[in-house]
Amino acid sequence: MHLPDGFLTNRIAFSLDALSGASILFAARRVKQEFSARVVPVMGVFSAFIFAAQMLNFPLFGGTSGHLVGGALLGIVLGPMAGFLTMATVVIAQALFLQDGGLVAIGANLFNIAALPAFLGYFVYRMLGAPNAPGSRLSIAGFLAGWLSVVAAAAACAVELGLSSAVPMSVGLPAMAGYHAVIGVFEGLLTALVISFLARVRPDLLKKEFSPAFGITDWVGAIVLVAAPLSILVLAGSSQLPDPLQALLTEPSAASGSQESLLSPARYSDLQRFLIYLVLLGVCVVAYSAARILRIRRGRP
Amino acid sequence: MKHSFIDRYAHLDSPLHMLEARTKIIGFMALVIAVLTVRAGGVGHFFILFFLISILAGISQIPMPYVVGRTLLLLPFVLLAGLAAPWKGSAGWSWFLLLVMRSVLCLLVLVILTNTTRFVELLRGLRKLGCPKLVVANLSFLYRYLFVLADEAMRMKQARDCRRVGRAGIFAELRTLGSMLGTLMVRSFEHADQMYRAMLSRGFSGEFMVIAPRKCSWRDLVFIAVVAVIIAATLYL
Repeated sequence: MHLPDGFLTNRIAFSLDALSGASILFAARRVKQEFSARVVPVMGVFSAFIFAAQMLNFPLFGGTSGHLVGGALLGIVLGPMAGFLTMATVVIAQALFLQDGGLVAIGANLFNIAALPAFLGYFVYRMLGAPNAPGSRLSIAGFLAGWLSVVAAAAACAVELGLSSAVPMSVGLPAMAGYHAVIGVFEGLLTALVISFLARVRPDLLKKEFSPAFGITDWVGAIVLVAAPLSILVLAGSSQLPDPLQALLTEPSAASGSQESLLSPARYSDLQRFLIYLVLLGVCVVAYSAARILRIRRGRP
Repeated sequence: MKHSFIDRYAHLDSPLHMLEARTKIIGFMALVIAVLTVRAGGVGHFFILFFLISILAGISQIPMPYVVGRTLLLLPFVLLAGLAAPWKGSAGWSWFLLLVMRSVLCLLVLVILTNTTRFVELLRGLRKLGCPKLVVANLSFLYRYLFVLADEAMRMKQARDCRRVGRAGIFAELRTLGSMLGTLMVRSFEHADQMYRAMLSRGFSGEFMVIAPRKCSWRDLVFIAVVAVIIAATLYL
């Protein structure tokens, strides 16, 4: 689910970077206006909680295991803005700690894994009137929020890959969405269980304090946040700007014939090319080893 | 319990570790963008960048098995793209090669960046580059509390495993896990509350301080110059 660098075309990756950057700034402003400074440590510790919660996995069929993703849960407990920011922190940390997700692709990951689940989870939860409902209605709302958030994230991921022509959408979309519609059941169940646990044990956590009323500015903001990426994606998918990944597919002759420099692979036969790659790879490994053995130390003692 | 999956080699001592965080963020970001904008068919250009990145990895003293192990993260995506490659027509396999090289190089850059910079310094660099205060504060809380909560999660897991004989059904498992997660969440909230009071009483103003931050020096200039020259060379060769 965490997209690495290189799989998205540049225009999609960069436009999603801009979008996610803007939505983080927007959410940060809203959170600062809306909450006391007390929310800062709560958000921070909850992002650590998501990290820790992802270590607790449960066995699934065939030796695999699953774990909570948590975007919808955060959206429900903290409200959409703070929930999104908290999940965004988790996504950034996953990229920086675990190299899960790339540097330039981080905008796409923030959109798929943080923005979509947090906002969608919160809206589903609100739509079903869950904040004031007891018992089973709360669980159903939690389940739907969790399930939808996972399916939407997977679908968005597949659409981005499809528009980048990395994985054709006709294959990727049903595969990703279908697989996650099954896996998402567990996310939904876990979200519902945690929500009903909280309602039993600490109902104050689910009450007003961290999920304030959604004002008209927020509706406008949310619509902009949802509409902008869609239009960007559509524009990006149809624009004619050159991009390395797609250029190779659309005009293979340009890639092989026009450049007659020493570096162009078309000059060589297949076997030659393979050998050259192998030699170059060897050179790189030697360079690594040489630099490592030299052990350049810092000047100061 | 010991957790060493975060900035594992960031405490090594190499010229790359000595650089200021901002320089590294900008330099490595430029490298990633250079990799992503290399012309189609420019396999040679990839090798120039790969050469530079290998030297950087060597200088940084990060062990090779670790670096190679990290690239396995890409495997699911590479496999997915590999399945799609035959449908791409004649250019399919060179397209696949380009895709793999792009993603591997970008991942290598990210591995070097995060393993040569201590997280606290990385955050300071991000803050200086204009990342919102709230996000940076969040990340530093995450970094500090991750170990506490991960320990707690592991202890809960141990306790559950001790009380369980054999395998329960999947729904029973989920029920237990739901309560565990709920407990963990309540505990995190209580941690946060206590911490906020402690922080207030110590005069917290929303900004985390770094003791003895690194300063820009001639090393940073050299690094930026080398990266810029190599990138210019690959773009115009």
